[in-house]
Amino acid sequence: MAVKDFLSDHEYDGIREYDNPTPGWWHAIFIATIAFSFFYFVYWEMNPRASTPQSRWAAAQTAEYKRIFSSVGDLQNDEATILKMMGNEQMLNVAQGFYQSTCIQCHGKDGGGINGVNLTDDNYKNVKKLDDIFNVITNGANAGVMPSWKNQFNQNERVILAAYVATLRGTKPAAPKAPEGDPIPPWPAPAK
Amino acid sequence: MASDGSTASHSPHQETGPIERFVYDDAVVRKFLFASIIFGVVAFLVGVIAAIQLAIPPALASVKALSWLEFLTNTSFLNFGRIRPLHTNAAIFAFAGNALFAAIYYSTQRLCKARMWSDKLSNLHFWGWQLIVVCAAVSLPLGLTQGKEYAELEWPVDLMIAVVWVAFFGVNFFMTLAKRRERHMYVALWFYIATIVTVAMLHVFNNLSLPLALVQMFKTGQTPAAADWLKSWSVYSGVQDAFMQWWYGHNAVAFFLTTPFLGLMYYFLPKAAEKPVYSYRLSIIHFWSLVFIYIWAGPHHLHYTALPQWASTLGMLFSVMLWMPSWGGMINGLLTLRGAWNKVAADPILKFYVVGITFYGMSTFEGPMLSVKSVNSLSHYTDWTIAHVHAGALGWNGLLSFGMAYWLAPRLFQAPIWSKKLVAAHFWLATIGIALYVLGIYTGGITQGLMWRAFDETGRLQYPDFVETVMTLMPFYWIRVIGGTLFLVGGILCLLNLVMTWAARPAKYEETVHEAPALGPVFIDPPPQPTEITASTEWAKDVDQKYIKGWFHRVWERKPAKFTIWVLIAIFSASLFEIVPTFLIKSNVPTIASVQPYTPLELAGRDIYIAEGCYNCHSQMIRPIWAETRRYGEYSKPGEFVYDHPFQWGSRRIGPDLAREGGRQSHDWQIRHLENPRQLIPDSIMPAYPHLLKDALNFESIQGRVDAMAMLGVPYGDLVQKGKAIEAAKAQAKELADTLVAQQGYADMGDKKAIALLAYLQRLGTDISKPPPAEPAKPATASAEVTK
Repeated sequence: MAVKDFLSDHEYDGIREYDNPTPGWWHAIFIATIAFSFFYFVYWEMNPRASTPQSRWAAAQTAEYKRIFSSVGDLQNDEATILKMMGNEQMLNVAQGFYQSTCIQCHGKDGGGINGVNLTDDNYKNVKKLDDIFNVITNGANAGVMPSWKNQFNQNERVILAAYVATLRGTKPAAPKAPEGDPIPPWPAPAK
Repeated sequence: MASDGSTASHSPHQETGPIERFVYDDAVVRKFLFASIIFGVVAFLVGVIAAIQLAIPPALASVKALSWLEFLTNTSFLNFGRIRPLHTNAAIFAFAGNALFAAIYYSTQRLCKARMWSDKLSNLHFWGWQLIVVCAAVSLPLGLTQGKEYAELEWPVDLMIAVVWVAFFGVNFFMTLAKRRERHMYVALWFYIATIVTVAMLHVFNNLSLPLALVQMFKTGQTPAAADWLKSWSVYSGVQDAFMQWWYGHNAVAFFLTTPFLGLMYYFLPKAAEKPVYSYRLSIIHFWSLVFIYIWAGPHHLHYTALPQWASTLGMLFSVMLWMPSWGGMINGLLTLRGAWNKVAADPILKFYVVGITFYGMSTFEGPMLSVKSVNSLSHYTDWTIAHVHAGALGWNGLLSFGMAYWLAPRLFQAPIWSKKLVAAHFWLATIGIALYVLGIYTGGITQGLMWRAFDETGRLQYPDFVETVMTLMPFYWIRVIGGTLFLVGGILCLLNLVMTWAARPAKYEETVHEAPALGPVFIDPPPQPTEITASTEWAKDVDQKYIKGWFHRVWERKPAKFTIWVLIAIFSASLFEIVPTFLIKSNVPTIASVQPYTPLELAGRDIYIAEGCYNCHSQMIRPIWAETRRYGEYSKPGEFVYDHPFQWGSRRIGPDLAREGGRQSHDWQIRHLENPRQLIPDSIMPAYPHLLKDALNFESIQGRVDAMAMLGVPYGDLVQKGKAIEAAKAQAKELADTLVAQQGYADMGDKKAIALLAYLQRLGTDISKPPPAEPAKPATASAEVTK
């Protein structure tokens, strides 16, 4: 290989230079990346019908809501609906996801309460009946100790979250916080 | 293969001046070399400390014997948010910076056959740079920062950098070129030219800022306190600031850590291998394509953010196109070693180069890959990026610097290297250290990225609790500690070897006197090589001879001014193509009527957020990706950041995103979480900030802060009237403190730093869901929708 090398007459502080041709694959890939870039730009930036991250996000949201809530439709925030959702395994499962990403920092993984109240006992501060849970989630409570979540979750999401929180009542957390507020009667029995 | 044997056939016509005698200035090279390795050890040490800080909190909770290490997670000036910038600045500017100066001062003199133009400037450069490094080492732990990554240093230090770089280093270098005795400039010098002019441009434009002290003196009418002299805000805001920052940040990698090190490679590798460079024409094409293309690539740091999509796409595409220009350097390096592999096996110095260049090749393949949007949607905000930069910084910059140090040591200290065994040991420690570091952190990064986006079959996040994804990283974080420690030990061995070699130096260094004729004014370039094109027009033959065969470039190589102007044209034109539309096209940042300026107290809190370095772990930029909005809330819009001087989008989620933190937790939770995160989240690795609950908030400085924002164009209305901003801040602080008490929180927070930070945190990301103000000042152009 060295036989073919063409040694130029350049010399700097004893450093010499061959004038070997650049490898063919180097040129080929370089040109390929330029060609790719040209077509990519034209397709994604000059084509009005190309999707954007925002449009793909919107499509994903629609698809997800449809997938999750298609079986129940738009949910009312009344006691009967929440009660119904308390028996809907699929919805409770989804709501548990919301609970874990949002609520556990104050209420604990198992609802036993940390900075926020214990959700498992029979005592409640701002809840007299089931739909009050929805209202607390929506508007917050206790001078903002419990924040309002109406901007983070839509109505359907808050309804099933309320249902999930209601199901925590009566469970046995690892480290329950002392009861706060007053005892309230048990949730109504599920319809049928 | 074209011509052969034409080497001597065209003897150039030139006039040479009288023979001159000169000696090279190696004293300054010795100083830079020592500074590089000493600060390198410091940078690695700080890196290991930072790595431990991330890994140790769970161990502190479970292992009683470690509790004395608690101070690593709750001491204001040692907290990760301040230590991490210290680490990056030390590694980049002190270690790599001094190494590249050593390389440039040593090789430029020899490639120009001329002593540096001015010994005085050489020394001013050396001591000026070390002063800058010391200022950084003091100011960063104190929380004096501009809040932009790798551009943290405050404006007085920035001014020092500008003066030292341009007036001392730049002038000295270009005057040496002007006085050179070698007609043509070798490829290493091209890379040095690109480095000097581009870094100057990047540094100046990214660091344009408005200092608090000046605002207080000339607008507020207040005598600045000492600390007010060291606080400033970027003149750019939000999307534009993000763009400028990553134009700078990416090109700092390009023109501080790549081009000068390619120059270093082009000089020291053929020297050490005693082989000619593989291909001159590859040098030409990869130099110019690298210089031109690199500049565009910055926006790839901002994929899926509120940056306009066209800019992000350009960033990705130019990164992809950068692959081969980068590999041109690797090919020229590795193929120079053809026929010398037996030497590589025997000589640890060459081993440093070979592994270093190989890391360069891997990083410059990985870089384009990470800049592809779909890959980036996974890798962004994860440790994958951290692994990538360490492959580059430790593998490429580190190993090349060490290889150079060992090659230079016997020549500079005129004594044989103290221990060759230690050189070999260092090579293995460094290589294994890097391998552990990057493999561990790659795995951790990809794991966490996958966990963040994982959904279960019911459509809920599989790992909704952020801290769970952090806990998964712990084994990888400990592997990083081990890898980093090995690299640090290697650095210490290097320093030891240099010191011992230096100790064996002769009583007086021998100074070789060189002789060379001065360049005369006349030089007639040899004619171009004959073209092989026969059946075509004269025009085509001319183009082939003069341009395709590179003859024109040979002419440029003896004209430093012209060469530099072409470099400037390349970097400026590429920059302007992206900068001008980003700043001028209004639709790039659609405004949102409900987004209002921060209140004075929130502004003060924001400055605390910046000073504590929160952006080192928390992003404030939710991407339009389903998994992300599920976890953090509605994705971020460009119009939400118009008052953010500087932007705080962050680049890494060691903790969760905070773009929509406002209102997510109670005031009481936030304050207790700042006091010690582990009292609420037992697994949290966040540092504790008890000092924020004790230190008094400086209300007096708030008027100046508001005035400064107003000068930068934030509509503050009446609040700029004397004392109004302070009044407003005190009122809001009282209100927050009262609410805190109502929440059974701490009682005496109203005048503490924590209250301002609380105000800021509770404001974050909330404006977008508020109704627009009652009396719209401007016609409502409100649009929550982002267009590209």
